[in-house]
Amino acid sequence: MNPFEKIFNYQLITRLDDSGTSMVTAQERSWLKTMLQQPEAEAAFTPETLEKLRLLLEPASPIDFSGHLVEKAGNVEVQVYHPLLRPLRRLIRDRAAASLSFSAKSGGIYNKQLGLPYKLEYSMVKKEWYLLWYHLRTRRLMSTRLQKIDSAAVHPQPITAERYDQLQAEIRSKLEELKVSATVEVVREYNAELSRILYAFSPFEKEVLYDDEEDVYRLVLSFSRGESEYMLSKIRFLGKRVRIVDNAAMHRRMYESASMALARYGVTADECEGDAAAEA
Amino acid sequence: MAKESFDKEIQFLRMLVLTSGAYSRQQFADRLGISVHTYDKTLKRLKDIVATTQQALPEEQGKQLGDMLRYSYIDAADPMLLFLFRAKSIKETESERLSLLLAAMDAEPLTAGELLDFCCTHMPEELSLPDEKTIRNDLKYLEQVGVIRKAGAVRPYRYAVNNELLQSLTDEELLDLHDFAHVMANTRVPSIQGYLLQDGLKKHIARTMENSEALDAFVYKYHYYSRILDEAHLFSLLHAIQNRRKISFLYFSPKKPASYASKNTNPLFERDTAGQQVTTIPLQIVYDHQYGRWYLLGHQARFGLKKFRIEGMTEIAWEDGDTVDEAPFQEMMSELELRTRYSWLIDTGRTVTVRARFFNPGPGAPNFIKDRVLRQGQWGVITEENENSFIYEIKVNGTIEIKPWIRSFGSSCEVLEPLHLRKEMIQEWKELQRCYEPV
Repeated sequence: MNPFEKIFNYQLITRLDDSGTSMVTAQERSWLKTMLQQPEAEAAFTPETLEKLRLLLEPASPIDFSGHLVEKAGNVEVQVYHPLLRPLRRLIRDRAAASLSFSAKSGGIYNKQLGLPYKLEYSMVKKEWYLLWYHLRTRRLMSTRLQKIDSAAVHPQPITAERYDQLQAEIRSKLEELKVSATVEVVREYNAELSRILYAFSPFEKEVLYDDEEDVYRLVLSFSRGESEYMLSKIRFLGKRVRIVDNAAMHRRMYESASMALARYGVTADECEGDAAAEA
Repeated sequence: MAKESFDKEIQFLRMLVLTSGAYSRQQFADRLGISVHTYDKTLKRLKDIVATTQQALPEEQGKQLGDMLRYSYIDAADPMLLFLFRAKSIKETESERLSLLLAAMDAEPLTAGELLDFCCTHMPEELSLPDEKTIRNDLKYLEQVGVIRKAGAVRPYRYAVNNELLQSLTDEELLDLHDFAHVMANTRVPSIQGYLLQDGLKKHIARTMENSEALDAFVYKYHYYSRILDEAHLFSLLHAIQNRRKISFLYFSPKKPASYASKNTNPLFERDTAGQQVTTIPLQIVYDHQYGRWYLLGHQARFGLKKFRIEGMTEIAWEDGDTVDEAPFQEMMSELELRTRYSWLIDTGRTVTVRARFFNPGPGAPNFIKDRVLRQGQWGVITEENENSFIYEIKVNGTIEIKPWIRSFGSSCEVLEPLHLRKEMIQEWKELQRCYEPV
């Protein structure tokens, strides 16, 4: 398999697009056949569609890894597909409001809440699906685990195109409001590990600044407030290699985290001061 | 034999997306080991591809490539770096001809002769007209990549576009297929072909469906989207492994400042490359979920088992006859399996047992600590448990690779054994505490 086949060439694809011609290559069919062997396929299609697909792909051969491709340090897969995924994605496609019944983190149960679902989010870390939706009465952005949703029905009253656009704009601006930023500096003696550090932060929106006089890299990370804890765990993951330089709350949390960790090990504050004095 | 490589483009894009805007032109070029002129040329070429595939609006054309590729979470519907795999260059005549042929066969099955006529009448005047041999070669190629098939067994053969997969499915089934490709390509490896399939399906559906922008229903949190850059090498490496071939490549350790070296045609300007020429017997490819990076494990004559970061491998090549016999290959594989059995990632250091106490979040709260340990703790087991804490035990090769994971739990984890790891953790927390001391 050569992923750089000329059949994938961008000018060719654009021309086909213009003439409205669709095609599927042998490589794509092989990949699909490989993935249809996964248990997720059962939940992704109706039994009839799955049967049809398997029949259509009979001449294709799956990709052969013969044990030479290994994945390490991943998360155990809990549910890549969830039964609600298909109906909910259709609600999103149809730009429909939904009446949602679900239970919250706090344990409270909510019935028939009117909302506009706008994305289905999969957490690569928690291995779970969340419905991102906009609560039409409270005007709050909601994120609900699919597992906690008891029912999701299309609300009979359709949303007009104007209203939909207006709601989308509200969602956008609320998402922006929820964003926070933190600047992380790469401790210079670890510049050789820059690649690893940049990879670790690559799933986030960011800007990298480089001060060539001081040879210092700073990453301005931007993320949703609710993700601060995950960001902190990522920063702890990297340990001494990086340092938060501007977000006071995260700075404080790192200090607390280190102090509490030391307390677990029975190290007292006095002992730390003693160490610092000895080094000085 | 070496295939046309996209090493330069891959290294270029990797640096562009990882360092998002950090470097000036000169700094960027220096770090890639190319001239500013090559930098400008590569940038222009990549920008052209992005602009063509994304059909950017005129006002967007002035945008920097870095901005075009800036990652925005909620809008990250399409795989941003997929366009790399559309970079294979072909002549304008050829792309025009192939697209004409496919469009004609999409309408009805046609013979080579009919297709030749069709091409001759429909090709733009300024482009040269094909002869029958060219058409036959095109058909052979298109059949080989699976996009067309012979319709019937009667000569002269008629050819049709091979897209039964699309035609046999209803709209709703196509939507399910699109979503399946989307979800699997984003959550599994390998993914290039899945992304290509999803891209094709999306366009196909968009032609028939209203609100096609509403197809972008899924987002993936904490996804390493740049991992597809290294996937470029995956299939040639797999192929070499399956054929027991030795490979050679120019290796740039990711810790070195330069990551590519241009092959200058003018010997006066030739400079020493920082890379190291390596020959190895490839055995296994490892994908690391912690950082979204790829490794190659191979066997090298004098050193035995060797590990390489795929992002540092360029100019991968092999000689057709240079293969390894099955028996020694299997021996190398057994050695690899034995030595990496307890590798958190790929460390082949001394095996130790790590024991750590994890503390539960407190009464009433969902136990996200335990959930995470169970989800990410690989083959480790929980050996003891009470209402406040539990003990997790794992046998691992060396402690370097597991340490960041342990540290990420902060004060929710206390290392009990081995003693040296416990001491290191105490030391690190002391340093971090000092570093974050309130002023």
